[in-house]
Amino acid sequence: MDFSEAAERISRKFVKDGTALADKAKIEGKLRRLVQEFGVQPSEAERSVTGELAREHNMALPGSAPNGQRGGGGTAEKKIAEAVPGEWVTFEGKVVALSAPVSPSISQSGILADESGAIRFVAWAKANAPAMNEGSWYRIESGVVDEYKGVANLKIHSGTTIKEISEDRALIPVPQEIKNLHAGIGGVRAKVVQEWDASHERMLQSGLLGDETGTIKFVIWKEPGREKLEVGGVYNIFYAQVDEFNGRLSLNLNGATILQEEGDIAVSGGETAFTGAIVHIAPGSGIIKRCPVEGCNRALSRQNYCPVHEIQQKFVYDLRIKGWLDNGMKTHSILLQRDAVETLTGISLAAAQEIAENNPLGMDEVFLQMRDKVLGRYVTCRGREIDNRLLVNSCELKKFESADHTGLLNRAGGAA
Amino acid sequence: MSTPAREMPRREGSFEREPARRVFAGELRECHYQFREGDDEKSPTFVLLPTGERCNRIFLIGTLTEKTRQGEQNMFYRGRVVDPTGTFFVMAGSYQPEAMQQIARIETPAFVAVIGKPSLYRKDEASAPMVSVRVESITVVDKETRDLWVLDAAERTLDRVDALRTGDSLDITKAKEQYPTVDPAVFRKMAYDALAQITI
Repeated sequence: MDFSEAAERISRKFVKDGTALADKAKIEGKLRRLVQEFGVQPSEAERSVTGELAREHNMALPGSAPNGQRGGGGTAEKKIAEAVPGEWVTFEGKVVALSAPVSPSISQSGILADESGAIRFVAWAKANAPAMNEGSWYRIESGVVDEYKGVANLKIHSGTTIKEISEDRALIPVPQEIKNLHAGIGGVRAKVVQEWDASHERMLQSGLLGDETGTIKFVIWKEPGREKLEVGGVYNIFYAQVDEFNGRLSLNLNGATILQEEGDIAVSGGETAFTGAIVHIAPGSGIIKRCPVEGCNRALSRQNYCPVHEIQQKFVYDLRIKGWLDNGMKTHSILLQRDAVETLTGISLAAAQEIAENNPLGMDEVFLQMRDKVLGRYVTCRGREIDNRLLVNSCELKKFESADHTGLLNRAGGAA
Repeated sequence: MSTPAREMPRREGSFEREPARRVFAGELRECHYQFREGDDEKSPTFVLLPTGERCNRIFLIGTLTEKTRQGEQNMFYRGRVVDPTGTFFVMAGSYQPEAMQQIARIETPAFVAVIGKPSLYRKDEASAPMVSVRVESITVVDKETRDLWVLDAAERTLDRVDALRTGDSLDITKAKEQYPTVDPAVFRKMAYDALAQITI
């Protein structure tokens, strides 16, 4: 056994902030003593000295045995995208973002990425882990992947070893399609389609991002160095946090890498279209009263009662139709907003209000007239589907196409 | 360690409504088998179509040719709705007050769109089962809408006939058991004849 070489190998594992923690000569002495005096197998001697040093310096026992072979209880080296909560893992990845720790018990938090994907990481203060630098590659051995708020998260604890990888590897993140995003860390190439009023004083900007496959809400919280996105601008966004709330996804862009680029995207708007017959008009359709309190807009009961703001006499009238659209195979819940209702029924809000205020049946009469005009009709509804309900932007009556007719005649007669 | 499916509160719109099947009167008339899914009091009843599809609800458009009011205490309406292949027998009783009021206002003859639930009944023990449709809703529509329905019903019928030949769903197997003498070609012909009656 070449003692000096083994000692060199061991001492490399115990380096903190660039300075060696253990004296190489001392290591060599220990090894020599174990092997020569006590007849210990060289590999076992190396393991023993390493373990002793690890305990002495309160560092995790490096997972790699001599010759890079792994013991039975070691952690699997994985790609980030393969991580499953509950596993001990070893990743090689690049720190692509660092964020301010939210608690004193966390020393560092950020995002680690490899070519397969990205994951948030948290280093506990108790772990005494070396500080990692944004933009550098690291080998993280024996971390634990767990789940925090439904998203996989890498925990760096006192048993984790972090080694900087000096070579600079290329990492080109690939944007995902919006419809394929899932909770975790994601990247998109998207256009800012809408900007919404900030609903919170800490919020810098919120709005809607879209690509060819759909749209997603985004939010940027106020933080030094963060800038608003330009409405209509196209951005490459990498390593953004994809949050899930009530089954809906949103992008948190704090911590993300954002690059504006030239060009345009034909945003699909996530619109879907269904054609079928309207087979039911639900109660609460027709003319309704809405709460006038700003930002509320809830439908009032017949007694003008808002579930939040109680009795509101200065209500605002609105039109809507809730119902079911059925193609014989599947039934979709639909909600038509005022514009779509006016086009489909031919009854304007003003006309409906006139009926509601002067007809003895009041608002019920509007419901009945609208029902008779739309129930049993074939329509095509376009809009966004949320929670199994289609929020209809436009709705038109289906027309009889003689091409459909001949097509079916051929089909029915052809194979007879 | 997998995460359990999150318990989501059952929100409005999250449940699957039974689609309304499109079936010609000529096929519905042939039904003589109905079954219930589950043994709960509220579990739905299905009529099995000879082309191998269950239906709990149907959507039909035809001509309401006559309607009669029956009963004193428990008043109800009966009606005949004619499509290119035959007649649907529809009824609306006091449990469908909305449908009853709708049918009361309609003057025959008129094109009507009916959403309802089919069920089998026998006049007496010896007679063959009849299918009647309990109306959930009935509205007057125009001829174009009627023609659209004929296309729709023909297309769905052809889909079922094709599936009957190649598919092996639970309902198809059951239909082959229950309707051994029915020739699916009859329904293809029926669809063709119905389509041929549309004049442009």
